[in-house]
Amino acid sequence: MLNPNHLIFTLAAFVMAQAAPAAAQTAVQGGPDCSRTLTLGLHEHGLLYSAKTGAGIDKDIADELARRSGCKINMTLMPRARIWQLIESGALDLSLSGITNEERDKFASFAWYFSNKYYLLVRKDTGVRQLSDFQADGKLRLGVIRAFRYSKNANRLVDALNEEQRVTYSTSLEPLYKVLSSNSIQGMIIEPFDYSQVSNTSIRDFTMIIETRDPSIPHGLIMSNKSLPLKEREKWSALVAEMRTDGTMLRIFNKYFDPQLADSMVNF
Amino acid sequence: MGLRRLRQYRMVLLVLCVSLAVSFLAWRHEKDNAQLDLHAALDFNVREVSSRIEQRMAAYEQVLHGAQGLYSVSGEIRREDFAAYVNALQLGPDYAGMQGIGMATVVPASQKDSHVLQMRQAGFAGYDIRAEGLHAMYVPVLQLEPFVGRNLVSLGLDLDSDPRQRTAMDRARDSGNAAISSKLVLAAEKTGAADGNADADTAEFLMYLPVYKAGTQNNTPAARLTNIRGWVFAPFRVRDMMASLYGENQAATDVRIFDGVETTAATLMYDSAPRSRLKHGGQDPERIVSTEYITNGGHAWTLVVSTLPGYGERVGKDKSRLIAVTGAVLSLLLTLLTWQLVTGRERALALARDMTSELRASEARFRYLAQYDELTGLPNRAMFKDRLQHAILQAKRDKTHLALMYLDLDNFKPVNDSLGHHVGDLLLREVAQRMQTCMRESDTVARIGGDEFVVLLPVVEHEEDALLVAEKIRHTLNQPFEIAGGHVLEVSSSTGIVLYPQHGVDEVELSRNADNAMYKAKELGRNMVKMYQRC
Repeated sequence: MLNPNHLIFTLAAFVMAQAAPAAAQTAVQGGPDCSRTLTLGLHEHGLLYSAKTGAGIDKDIADELARRSGCKINMTLMPRARIWQLIESGALDLSLSGITNEERDKFASFAWYFSNKYYLLVRKDTGVRQLSDFQADGKLRLGVIRAFRYSKNANRLVDALNEEQRVTYSTSLEPLYKVLSSNSIQGMIIEPFDYSQVSNTSIRDFTMIIETRDPSIPHGLIMSNKSLPLKEREKWSALVAEMRTDGTMLRIFNKYFDPQLADSMVNF
Repeated sequence: MGLRRLRQYRMVLLVLCVSLAVSFLAWRHEKDNAQLDLHAALDFNVREVSSRIEQRMAAYEQVLHGAQGLYSVSGEIRREDFAAYVNALQLGPDYAGMQGIGMATVVPASQKDSHVLQMRQAGFAGYDIRAEGLHAMYVPVLQLEPFVGRNLVSLGLDLDSDPRQRTAMDRARDSGNAAISSKLVLAAEKTGAADGNADADTAEFLMYLPVYKAGTQNNTPAARLTNIRGWVFAPFRVRDMMASLYGENQAATDVRIFDGVETTAATLMYDSAPRSRLKHGGQDPERIVSTEYITNGGHAWTLVVSTLPGYGERVGKDKSRLIAVTGAVLSLLLTLLTWQLVTGRERALALARDMTSELRASEARFRYLAQYDELTGLPNRAMFKDRLQHAILQAKRDKTHLALMYLDLDNFKPVNDSLGHHVGDLLLREVAQRMQTCMRESDTVARIGGDEFVVLLPVVEHEEDALLVAEKIRHTLNQPFEIAGGHVLEVSSSTGIVLYPQHGVDEVELSRNADNAMYKAKELGRNMVKMYQRC
């Protein structure tokens, strides 16, 4: 059955897509200030962004934000830790798919556009059946992306293991998958946009996915409080909200996930 | 007593054990904390190094973006323009690892001959595409600036023939981003040693940025594949790059970089402190290792930072040794103090016992001295007086007689004067003993002065009884005395006797009369016994 709202959104998106080339190079009236080139940090993370293909959810959202705002946005691929550092210092304006915590709230603002749960990807031969099993076995090491934060239980596990020097850090997921295969680490925290990499490779054969029993965590556009005035941040937030309400965000997610998962992630 | 001692020892032992246990716990806590500090410091060091490498790689990438931009502005770049551009960059020591900036172009097999001809006509007479076998496509190095030294050799080298380079170039082409190759050891510089460090000294990698055909839109991997024209690239020597990183390296650490995620000699790209150059081969049982995977240009490196001997001292937060020593000393002091406390009462009691017994002995001595003559052990004047009074009362009550004698040694003074007091004392002691042999148990003989003795016979029937005893004494004393030291002395005695109640009824009268009788005996020639006679 066709949802009337969905139809309206599709039509609106179609109209906007037709108008896009004209708007691409000029600032939209009432939109964000485009008097200077903005900077946006991308980080390599599963379907969010792949340096191999130069594509991903974050790239699509960034392109859409540039298109809608009419701003020139320079996108740079860099480690997540560096992105947070630069957002805090004000040297970077924007980044994508970030989650917040008390500390980050002090220097960044967020415009949420999807929400998902975190999972523990663990080698089957460890015998781990739940999060606490992993912590209990002192031989097991967890691979973690430097500066990543997760949901409550996952954070607790990472912090506890870190105190026991049982965490191996990396700036991207790719090396972690490799050392998971070679059994140098036995687990990783993953998100739905890492599924494809797990299920399409040999990793699926020797691993299993364990629930963290945490609720979904909202992810959003990260805006530096230092480099963007409140008014500008509100305008960018409005653009993101617009992308959600007009179905653009769902369409982007539909490109990468099956419709059911995409819907559950975007409509939270 | 034994049980109490055991309890005391148990208490002391308990305090020692508890204080040592507390010291041990404090020591271990500090040791654990110090270990955590060491880990935290090393972890910080890893982040520092990794961050510096990332920033440096970003800077390298930016330089290549410049060269890439040159091609996007103008489709055809003359060799001299490219050389001038690279020269104008004035890459300083911050770019020390960068061996040059080059351009490699895509040459399909069909255009190979015309490309070679074109290059030869441009002045490179010996130019050829150096590749093993035939390929559908070649990517020869067209230019590598500065075009001097080793860079001259690379001209015409087909990068596509090397799978490691091809992988990186493909990645750069498909993503439109920078990509770096895996570890490369140039054959010309390879020392041939099996030692991984030799390789690490000359390890290199190449960074690529794609150059697409001018005026094309390259938003998708497919478009990028179609429109690829070549790559700008730069070879880097890892050792030089690491040497030029700005920032303070933590002392007593070994920084190693491995290509990929395997940490083998073959993948070692850089080692700041090769094991072979370290004392004891860098073996350290307390070594801490921190590993981090860093991805640059889509290629992973493993950064391993490990501590070298002496790292703990450099970080300098480990106070566990001080705690151990202080704890041991304090435990011993506490144990000593406990021992003092638990044995203090017993020692105080022992002391009190000693003092009491001394006091008692002293009292007994005083009591004795109050009643007895110290030299002869005979009752003294005070005791004799007491006994005399008692005897008078008894005689009065029983209507009996008693006899009192005053006895003085004759010629005692010359003994004292000629032979000394100690001989005189010995003589007096002997006299006392002999006198006592002449007495009954109920009689009392006492010394009341230098050579003056008194004798009390509490009950006498007749005057003759007293005379008999007195004579017996006199006779006994007349016998020669053999005094220690070989002296044989002869003395005599004069004795005065009074009887109660005939010669007096009280102590004073009796004493006075006895004394008079004794003097009478002296007057009459000494060595005699004289009964008191009233005038």
